[in-house]
Amino acid sequence: MNMARRAVFSPVDSTARVDAVVRRLADAIAVGLLADGEQLPSEAELAGRLGVSTVTLREALMALRQQGMVETRRGRGGGSFVRLPAEIDIAARLRELAVDELRDFGDHYAAIAGTAARLAAERALPSDVAPLWRTIEEMDAVAASPGDAGSPAEARARLRRLDGRFHIEVAAASQSARLTREEIRLQADIGPLLWLPHEGLGGHDETAAQHRAIAEAVERGDGERARAVAERHVLDATRHLIELRLRLRE
Amino acid sequence: MGTPASVAQAGHDHAATAVARVRETAESVFEALREVRDAAVACVRPAGGARRPVVADLAALRPLLWARLRGGPGALPSPVATLIAGIGFIAAPGLLADAPWYLEWWQENPSGHPVQLLRDLNPASSAFYDYTHWDWFAGPYSGAERTICGPYVDYLCTDEYSLTLSVPVLAGGTFAGVAAADVFVRRFEGAVLPALREVPGPAFLVNAEGRVVASNTASWIAGSVYRDGGSGDFSVHPVGDLPLSLVTAAR
Repeated sequence: MNMARRAVFSPVDSTARVDAVVRRLADAIAVGLLADGEQLPSEAELAGRLGVSTVTLREALMALRQQGMVETRRGRGGGSFVRLPAEIDIAARLRELAVDELRDFGDHYAAIAGTAARLAAERALPSDVAPLWRTIEEMDAVAASPGDAGSPAEARARLRRLDGRFHIEVAAASQSARLTREEIRLQADIGPLLWLPHEGLGGHDETAAQHRAIAEAVERGDGERARAVAERHVLDATRHLIELRLRLRE
Repeated sequence: MGTPASVAQAGHDHAATAVARVRETAESVFEALREVRDAAVACVRPAGGARRPVVADLAALRPLLWARLRGGPGALPSPVATLIAGIGFIAAPGLLADAPWYLEWWQENPSGHPVQLLRDLNPASSAFYDYTHWDWFAGPYSGAERTICGPYVDYLCTDEYSLTLSVPVLAGGTFAGVAAADVFVRRFEGAVLPALREVPGPAFLVNAEGRVVASNTASWIAGSVYRDGGSGDFSVHPVGDLPLSLVTAAR
């Protein structure tokens, strides 16, 4: 057997399993499917549900703790809790990514978001479009009075969660479970970073205008227009991000 | 083989058989939901309604919920037991004394005991969990006896293309919540496809909005939308009083 074939048939090692668990939980936390402050089930229960050993689970939780996504408290009322940092250290996260990686993320995301939006326009019924407008209105409300959210950081965190929800709702309207899962995964990878340049409260109008354009095209059933505006939305955000990355000193 | 008239008659009979099969399949899930509903009514009126219900009161539903899940403990060897991927009771906001939002929801687990869906249901901290907007909640809340929501991509629970069937739970004449079950589209399709295949020509099942649920033709596949253009090319057969119709080529 050559090397490549040998790799295919080698046992799936425990590192891969740890990574899979980290990824699953990190995705859910990043897009807000697991909410800030939410308590995770006990280690034994969580390991059982995910179908991994407690040792694997502990390693995964340790990695998540290091990434600041999980916090473990000891003693009574203790356990593992989801931590969604309200403020993201943009510079630190951006430094980990080279410009060509950012461009590649953008290319991949634009392909997924564009196709999802086109299919959504072809297949959406009024019940699929209603959630899009509801999310747009909720975002407008937060942007209009950020003070209601408690603090500017909390307002930005809420906008980021709603932004994620909007894109997941568009993907779900495509009726494709695979595209929706891919959208969730891409958002977990780069979403919080990608929507940053847009999401400063001053940048809300531009984001809102693009969201409206996507929702309108989906509602009208104009697949080509929906695809074009969804791609433009991702590519504009990627461009902003690359500009930021280029200005960053090593 | 026979005269054109007898061929047409055979097509009609096959459509009637397919309608009956769809009805049986959906009704078997609604039957399980009526059991959950009746059990939930008892849970939400503890001590004969002398005090407000709490989260712990709903734990009494578990043996029944598990038994109605695919592969769950105590599941009966019936077709319905292989259809249901998730089942539970969703409390009306404010019903329970100790949790403003709550769902007692269990999912099948191919590798063991059913698992409970645990969610942060505080709409202030999560972008997702105001469940009153979803059709499976809003339908029963607005008085629909039987709601079939979807097909839709269920990104909250299973990440699968699903149907959610639901019925209202009324306690003492007041809306207390919803009994609901998730059925994967591919399993529902598996249950009705043998009957659809017998229908000569294209035949597909659509929900109340016109979304295709199951089909015997690639031209009208699950997830696409059928809009009755009044072309006369298709006949629409209601499926009892369920929010579903069978569409077949017009004779």
